[in-house]
Formats: sequence, structure tokens, C-alpha cells
Amino acid sequence: MSRRKRGLPAEEDEPALDISSLIDVCFLLLIYFLVTSTIQPREQDLPMTLPSSQKSDAPLEIEPMLIAVKKTGSGFSIVVNKTEVLDTAVEGERRVLPRLFESLTAYSNLANANDTKPLVQLFIDPGVEQQTAMDVLNCLKGADINSVTFSQVAP
Amino acid sequence: MASNKLRALNSIEEKEDEMDMSPMIDMVFLLLIFFIVVSTPLVVKVDPLVKPAVAFNSTKPIDKNGRIVLNIRGEKDYYKSDYKGADAKMETEDEIAEYIEKEVKRINAMNSEYVPKLHLRGHKEVLFEFSQIAVAGAARAGVNQIVFSVYPFASK
Repeated sequence: MSRRKRGLPAEEDEPALDISSLIDVCFLLLIYFLVTSTIQPREQDLPMTLPSSQKSDAPLEIEPMLIAVKKTGSGFSIVVNKTEVLDTAVEGERRVLPRLFESLTAYSNLANANDTKPLVQLFIDPGVEQQTAMDVLNCLKGADINSVTFSQVAP
Repeated sequence: MASNKLRALNSIEEKEDEMDMSPMIDMVFLLLIFFIVVSTPLVVKVDPLVKPAVAFNSTKPIDKNGRIVLNIRGEKDYYKSDYKGADAKMETEDEIAEYIEKEVKRINAMNSEYVPKLHLRGHKEVLFEFSQIAVAGAARAGVNQIVFSVYPFASK
């Protein structure tokens, strides 16, 4: 008996901590927080540049596009160059203003062909909601127009 | 003799090569602490009462330097970046212009290469005229870069 005891390695007698229950609790908490938490969506940018206060001597090579967003009852209407009524509502989940977008793309292409920057003057009725204004700016961005002049007076 | 051989074999197994991880862990912690101490977090504070509009053509923020955050909760209800501060609330275009001018000076003093830009966080249901007041205030302060804060998708 004494010979066998002497032959046993000393390490086997060391105390060991059972961490399996700790891991169980950790996973339980992890799953609880995964299920109960709501992920806040990250905000993104819609950048626009206002016209510089410095005067330019160069003559305008392209006529500016005048866009007016007017409030009509509970909705709105978008008038381009004083006469042409385009969209009166957004379409689809992506909130597209198809006719305005088409018109802006054509204007942007024309400006690029003339090797100049597109000039957009935007009047937004004071009664229009922020979301509608962002829908219009979203169209501008989609047509690769990054500078706009906000007008206080309807064209 | 047989037991001697067995003991000899056992002693060989015990001398297996082991990598000592402790210096590596020391270094990792040292580097972690170094970067935590040295780095300055660049945070755009978000007013939870402002829920921005949705725009699908928006882009991810590339440069967060030089931003002057302005939250618009409603009429005469403008808030600075630190919306919890005692003097955070603003009501008029003059107050907005004064705030932006002060921020422009601070940004220029920090780094002259930063371009000051107005980071406008308007609630989606407020009228756009309040945003126009803010834009006019920015223009008076000499800031012509406006960044409208939006969500890239409609939340369900």
C-alpha cells in the first residue's frame, strides 16, 4: 500500500475549480441581452453645400433649375421652373420622387456636358415637414447634385 | 528494472514544451492601456428626442471632424450638441448664429485644417422652416457646409 501511494503523481490531488456553471450563467445572460436589446440604427449624412459668399466674375453657363415644394392640403406638390408640376407624393418604400429625379438627372447630365456645376435653387414652403424636404434633397443627392441654394421666396 | 523504465518514460512526458503566454498577455494589456489613455474619442452626441427623416441616398459619415451639431426638436426648440447642458436650449436665429460662430472659433483653434460644418439633426415631423432658420444662422456665421442627419432606411 505504501509503495502504491508513493508512486501516485502529486498533481492529481490539486483542487480544481468547476467553471461550467459560470459559463452556463454567462451564456444565459448573453442570450437574454441579445433577445431583449433593440439595435439603434446609425445615422447617415446627406451633405449639401450652400453657395459661397464670394462673388464670381464668371458668367453663368447654365440656367439654374428652380424647384418649389408647395404645401397643398395635407400633401405637397413639386413645381419645377415655375410651371411644370412634377410629383405630388413619394412612391414606394424608398420614398422616390420619380419625375423630379428624372428631371434632375437630365439637368445634371446637361451641366456635366457643359463642363459646369448644376445650379439648383430650392424653395420649400414653411409648412412642409422635414421628411418631405429630405425626400427632395435625397433626389438631389441621387442625381449627384451636392450644392443648393435655399430660397426664402417662391419662384 | 521495468518500474525504472516506466518512471523514466513518465519524466520525459512531463518535460513537454510549453509556451509561456504571460509576457504576451502582459504586452497586450500594456498596449490596451496605452491606447485607452492616449486616444481621444470623437463622439457625435445624439439627442434621443430627435428622430431624423429617412433618405436612401445618404452616405456613411466619413469625416466627423469639424462638425457643429444642432438638434431641432420643434419651434424655438433648438439644442446644442451637449443637449443636457444648462444653456443648451436656443430659440432664435441670433442665438444659433452666435453658437455656431463660437464653435467655428473653437474648431479653427483646434486645427486649422478642419472645415466647420453644420450637422443638422431635425426631427422628421417638424416643419422645415425651423431648419431654414438654422441654415440661415450658419450662413451668417460663415458656415456653408450643411450635413443633414438622416436614417438610411425606414424603421418598421
